[in-house]
Amino acid sequence: MRKLEEVLKDWEAVIGLEIHAELTTLDTKMFCGCKLEFGAEPNTHTCPVCLGLPGALPVPNRAAIESIVLAGLATNCDIEKHSMFYRKTYMYPDMSKNFQTTQGPVAFCMRGHLDLDVDGPAAKERVDLDGLEVGESRGNVTRTADGYVAHVGITRIHMEEDAGKMVHVGGGEGRIAGATHSLVDYNRAGTPLTELVTEPDLRTPEEARLFMQKLRQIYLAIGISDCSMEEGSMRCDGNVSLRRRGSKEFGVKTELKNMNSFKNLHDGLAYEICRQAEVLEEGGQIYQETRHWDPSAKRTIVMRVKETADDYRLFPEPDLAPYNLTDEFIEGVRAKLPELPDQKADRFERDFGLSAYDARHLVEHRATAAFFEECMGLAGADAAKLAKPVANLVINDVTAWLNADAGARLEESPLTPARAVKLMRLVAEDAISSKQAKEVFAAVLDEDADPAAIVEARGMRQVSDAGAIEAVVDAVLAANPDKVEQYRGGKTGLIGFFVGQCMKQTRGQGNPKVINELLAKKLG
Amino acid sequence: MTQHLTERDVRGIAEYTRIGLTDDEVAQMTADLNAIVDSLKPITEYDLEGVEPTFHPIGSLSNVMREDAERPGFSQEEALENAPRQQDGSFLIPSILGDGGDR
Amino acid sequence: MAGSAEFFRMGARALREGLAAREFSAHEVAAASLARVRAVDGSVHAFLETTEQLAFKAADRVDAAVAAGELDACGPLAGVPVAFKDNMNLVGTHTTCSSRMLANYVSPYTATCVSRVIEAGGIPLGKLNMDEFAFGSSTETSAFGPTKNPWDLSRVPGGSSGGSAAAVAAGLAAVTLGSDTGGSIRQPGSFCGLVAVKPTYGVVSRYGVVAFGSSLDQVGPFARSVEDAAYALNALAGRDALDCTSQDVRCDFTENLAQGVRGMRVGVVPAFMEAQGLAPEVKAKVEEAAERLRGLGAELVEVDLPNAQAAMSAYYVLGPCEAFSNLTRFDSVRYGYCDPGHADLGGQYEASRAKGFGPEARRRIMLGSYLLSAGVYETYYYPAQQVRTLITQDYVRAFERVDCILAPVAPRTAFRFGEVSDPTEMYLSDMFTISINIAGNGGMSMPVGLGADTNLPVGVQLISPQFKDENMLRVAAALEAVYGPAPIAPLFCEGKTPEAPAAIPDAADAVPGVDLPGLATAGAPSAAPTKRVPHEPNSPVGCSRESGLSERPGAAEGAPAQVEKAGE
Repeated sequence: MRKLEEVLKDWEAVIGLEIHAELTTLDTKMFCGCKLEFGAEPNTHTCPVCLGLPGALPVPNRAAIESIVLAGLATNCDIEKHSMFYRKTYMYPDMSKNFQTTQGPVAFCMRGHLDLDVDGPAAKERVDLDGLEVGESRGNVTRTADGYVAHVGITRIHMEEDAGKMVHVGGGEGRIAGATHSLVDYNRAGTPLTELVTEPDLRTPEEARLFMQKLRQIYLAIGISDCSMEEGSMRCDGNVSLRRRGSKEFGVKTELKNMNSFKNLHDGLAYEICRQAEVLEEGGQIYQETRHWDPSAKRTIVMRVKETADDYRLFPEPDLAPYNLTDEFIEGVRAKLPELPDQKADRFERDFGLSAYDARHLVEHRATAAFFEECMGLAGADAAKLAKPVANLVINDVTAWLNADAGARLEESPLTPARAVKLMRLVAEDAISSKQAKEVFAAVLDEDADPAAIVEARGMRQVSDAGAIEAVVDAVLAANPDKVEQYRGGKTGLIGFFVGQCMKQTRGQGNPKVINELLAKKLG
Repeated sequence: MTQHLTERDVRGIAEYTRIGLTDDEVAQMTADLNAIVDSLKPITEYDLEGVEPTFHPIGSLSNVMREDAERPGFSQEEALENAPRQQDGSFLIPSILGDGGDR
Repeated sequence: MAGSAEFFRMGARALREGLAAREFSAHEVAAASLARVRAVDGSVHAFLETTEQLAFKAADRVDAAVAAGELDACGPLAGVPVAFKDNMNLVGTHTTCSSRMLANYVSPYTATCVSRVIEAGGIPLGKLNMDEFAFGSSTETSAFGPTKNPWDLSRVPGGSSGGSAAAVAAGLAAVTLGSDTGGSIRQPGSFCGLVAVKPTYGVVSRYGVVAFGSSLDQVGPFARSVEDAAYALNALAGRDALDCTSQDVRCDFTENLAQGVRGMRVGVVPAFMEAQGLAPEVKAKVEEAAERLRGLGAELVEVDLPNAQAAMSAYYVLGPCEAFSNLTRFDSVRYGYCDPGHADLGGQYEASRAKGFGPEARRRIMLGSYLLSAGVYETYYYPAQQVRTLITQDYVRAFERVDCILAPVAPRTAFRFGEVSDPTEMYLSDMFTISINIAGNGGMSMPVGLGADTNLPVGVQLISPQFKDENMLRVAAALEAVYGPAPIAPLFCEGKTPEAPAAIPDAADAVPGVDLPGLATAGAPSAAPTKRVPHEPNSPVGCSRESGLSERPGAAEGAPAQVEKAGE
């Protein structure tokens, strides 16, 4: 199979996402008063309603409706005042009533969008932007200095309920295939579930990944879900089809499931795009089917072929009253809307003079944004001066540390905002070099100690006194006359040797900037 | 009488509704359903231009919701009280893919 | 002191007065009532199960209230023997819907209507026979054998709430609850000569009542007097947080029963009176009742319901669609009949649903599934909901001119077993009742004596504007003053009662020591049930009416033979 970058030169991928998020921050289920709790003993959070007992009736949870309206407002959706619940009937053992209560043609939230800032390596998958000037648009894309912005439409966000969980026994690795029997647990049945459907506006796996990431940031910011992809409280299915570059017609799409991490979302879509390209290039045909991404085998496998559109016998749920949301209700929800990641990034740019790039990446995680903000508070009058170095520390070092350790939590780490500010002050005051700062950063995390104490204990103070350094420089030059000769003869690469010798003499504490200046003067 | 459904349609419906029918039952059901659907003809002959449907009989009913408050439910034993088959606190079902089907 | 033989004649008022005067105890009422059920029900087969422990617990509660001088706190049904259609959950009892599918299902929770009646002081005697999942108009589709009409044991009691009607007509209970989707309370009420009320949709909570047509179903009482029906409604009516469609109804339904009809405008529908198939004896009775009301000072007004003729086809679209969806939950996984020995779920599903459901249930499920399928939905379901709008508007317009409408209930009096075998003929049983469910209005059957030709009870239908159910009760009370309260069927009056002991299973075999709903935690049983050992069907169900001693057939191999009947 060809590589993605190669494939995308010939083919345009058309990707749409369906993203489910459970409203895990609520206390109870969608249509009954059973407790929401992940990981409880099986079938300990059930009642007549969520067990689908004969005679039971649903009553919707007001907080769930508020949550989905909040999600709609945060994703630029129109809030539909008039909508209804419908019954979607299909028999499957994890669904206790054998119909799912969901929404019909009109969902609570319709016609929204998110703008994705795609930059750095992520922008490289988009191979069709040649010749586009900064600020210029083509289709749903606008060129920026460091990449592009993609405007991605949201078709709808609707309210529904989650199914129970099944454990498949007797097959390999708990898989359904080959299982002799299955065990059903209805604790999760009836968990409030939102489903967001995008327009087919995404063109690369990176865009899909960034969309998912951005939506997750928003959902976390508005507090409607813990968005745990690992525990399945946020899940993503993708629809993908290919068409020849320049073609306007859509190809046959496949539906991709089990992309339960950002990496799997990207890699699953990338594989599927390459697979489809190979099939099409060999004259084959794509079938409308559901495929399963197997991350260990790194391939997608077919789950089932859809010969005809599913017919779920959708009809309005007679047991639930229709909705006629008032302005008062909607405005009441709007008043609960917190600052969203994009707004926060704008504010960071404006208030602290950060670049758009830095601001954007700071707000990628709630924790890093909050950390940065706290640092700026502690920096007081120096906020403007320390903003850029602190942002760099957070975006590079802190993020790398967080990424390296899945269990790491910034809020509980030894690196408090106060220590981070102290550390960056030491750099700003030339007390330590930025190279030393990295060592101190690691030490803070390892030893749970104050940066100043670490610098003191290790005798790391940077020597910036020109007089003291000049003596060292003179000594180094005097000790290496042959090298001085070669340098002056044009072998300027030797500058690194001299700097290294000077640093060695100062036991690493000489200010590299001062050393460089003095060497340049004396050798010049 | 108009043929609204063929035996093949009825087999499709039986598969969807998961009701196992013998060939004789399929034939009988096809006849029954065609007769009933035929009797529903008046509904297709009404002039309903511009008439809004009434999905909920109480016209004024809207926005009925409950607060997000916990209510006592079943213990595990109570939940499983009527289970035809159970194991380890869960409802037990035979192989899902045994018939080659899935969702 | 009244003899225990008299209890079965008593209504709520007489029982309350006797209790208050300490002429007898509620315990005595419970014991005598259960004894009568066991001695007599063999010939009627109204009961599927008795609830002796619950009856005595409820009676003890009433007696304790009497002892404490707090009888008034007990509620409007203090000491009244009651029983429930078997589609109503009552914790610790079987709730079978007269289906093999639920033959061994033991309710782990209680329906709101049931707990309200018991909380109001009712003494629960047991659960009552019905058409399977309420699909029928004769109670012949019950998997446990049909119920007989106490007025003529060779005739059907009507349906689907046939057991609820027969129990009251035979003097086995003073008040029973039924459910009505297209006429299932009113038609058996007419066939058995009872006051039988289907309140406005939303008056009584449906929580815990096994759904047939969710937008059509409504629970209501059978009684032998308008006053008892009104007491029952006082207990039943009102908002229930567990049913979104239940409404806040604060009304004393007994309040204006004595006011008479002077000045009331009563509508008559000429098209109904001229309808094909309306038996002359029934037509004559409706006309007679109209004249009596005129004589009492009511103004008779002709009203037109131009779209009522479409109600039948709309109903046979909407009912099956909702039923199909409501019945998909019966899948052999969490409860209900599970066909043994299947290695794959698909096989278990298909066999369990094929054998668990009777023919009419299977037909409705498949019909509903067809009518909701893509492309067909637009042809039938959607237009049916539009027709519903027209029918509703018809009633709204009619009720701008009248306070109540008088109409036939059923086109004829009770028919013989097996007499109506054509489904479309059976469907006609509901021709006058269905439009009321479509529109959601209140409707009731009021007995007006016996038909001139068949000498069997005839009821007239009274129809109320939505949430003005007190209107029809007021008219009913005026008719009752003329015709007298509904009699117990002559066969079952004292001295004549046929000895036909019934071996009715008792719920205590299923769940020993269960507490009354309302006393125990709502929604949770207080005791772990022991499974009922399935009864082997001792005879095919079609024959069991001859034996008069049918028991619940259990999960034996092969589906029981069923009497094929259709309709409501």
